[in-house]
Amino acid sequence: MSDEDMMDDEAGGGVVKKFLYVNRKAPYGTIYALESLEVVLIGAAFDQDVSLAFIDDGVYQLTKGQQTDGIGMKNFSPTYRALEMYDVEKLYVDQDSLTARGLNAEDLIVPVEVLNTTQMAELMETQDVVFSF
Amino acid sequence: MKFGILVNEGPYTHQASDSAYQFTKAALEKGHEIFRVFFYHDGVNNGTRLSVPPQDDRHITNRWSALAKEHQLDLVVCVAAAQRRGLLDANEAKRNGKDADNIADGFRISGLGQLIEAGIQADRLVVFGD
Amino acid sequence: MSIEINGQTIETDEEGYLTNLGDWNEDIAKVLAEQDELELTSNHWEVINFLREYYDEYQIAPAVRVLTKAIGKKLGPDKGNSKYLYDLFPYGPAKQACRFAGLPKPTGCV
Repeated sequence: MSDEDMMDDEAGGGVVKKFLYVNRKAPYGTIYALESLEVVLIGAAFDQDVSLAFIDDGVYQLTKGQQTDGIGMKNFSPTYRALEMYDVEKLYVDQDSLTARGLNAEDLIVPVEVLNTTQMAELMETQDVVFSF
Repeated sequence: MKFGILVNEGPYTHQASDSAYQFTKAALEKGHEIFRVFFYHDGVNNGTRLSVPPQDDRHITNRWSALAKEHQLDLVVCVAAAQRRGLLDANEAKRNGKDADNIADGFRISGLGQLIEAGIQADRLVVFGD
Repeated sequence: MSIEINGQTIETDEEGYLTNLGDWNEDIAKVLAEQDELELTSNHWEVINFLREYYDEYQIAPAVRVLTKAIGKKLGPDKGNSKYLYDLFPYGPAKQACRFAGLPKPTGCV
């Protein structure tokens, strides 16, 4: 069996923690958005309670219609649509970050829950592990 | 307390590695346990055997190797991030047809699962990055 | 390393993965399978085509657990399980099926 399959049997040892992935950077300009997503995909096999937060320029990771041929980079935005199949379904977006950038939830490629600053802080308060990339 | 440490930036370019090192050292001195130090993004570059910084300043990689040796620390570099940036051990070099490897003493290459495990097993995961 | 096929030279890496994913076609898949002493049946092609469609849509090769679930959904529970997939691809869907399907080589990051 592969390493991946063996992990399913022993993943986490039964402990379930709340993991929050905070994303504050736009895609393509730096590597953080892509490599953050890669952690989420691998981490999904560990059956933890996962949430993703998109704040500041991080909201740009989810916008529709990304076209990257001109910059010679792979458009990885379709991968966010695969998260559901990895049982990663709690995606939160900061309201002020959207507004400041002239965006709303309809501009995004996946269904999200939009939170105001207070709600975002409350969400973070409840988490056991907070990753920031 | 049991800590997991995540280092997201490379040596010298950003203070993250220095801060992580000072924190790790201080935590150990206070009797805390360091479950794992995980290097991601450009942080993998902390694990190169080939850096030759000026002699009148800190040698970041050697410092990590020495601390790891003294306290039996588990310094882990993410394989995917390392492949991207050309940080290889002998096995990875062979597997990918490269003519050299460059990983430093005390560091090992493994998967992101090690980071997730650190998050699960540690009481607190501290992130050092940009 | 390279394979000769239909008069073309196709480059592969140390572990037999295509150097240029754009080179892929069905004949190449057959040759890659032959290297592992496998003959591709319609059941193999079902999985290979599924992987290529998944990659086209989501730009990633699916994790084994996700692949198993998704195949179960599309092709039924008798095919949506580890045993079925490993019977078809003894070295595993992630490594072997993805190689035949011309998907990017996995990083090994688990």
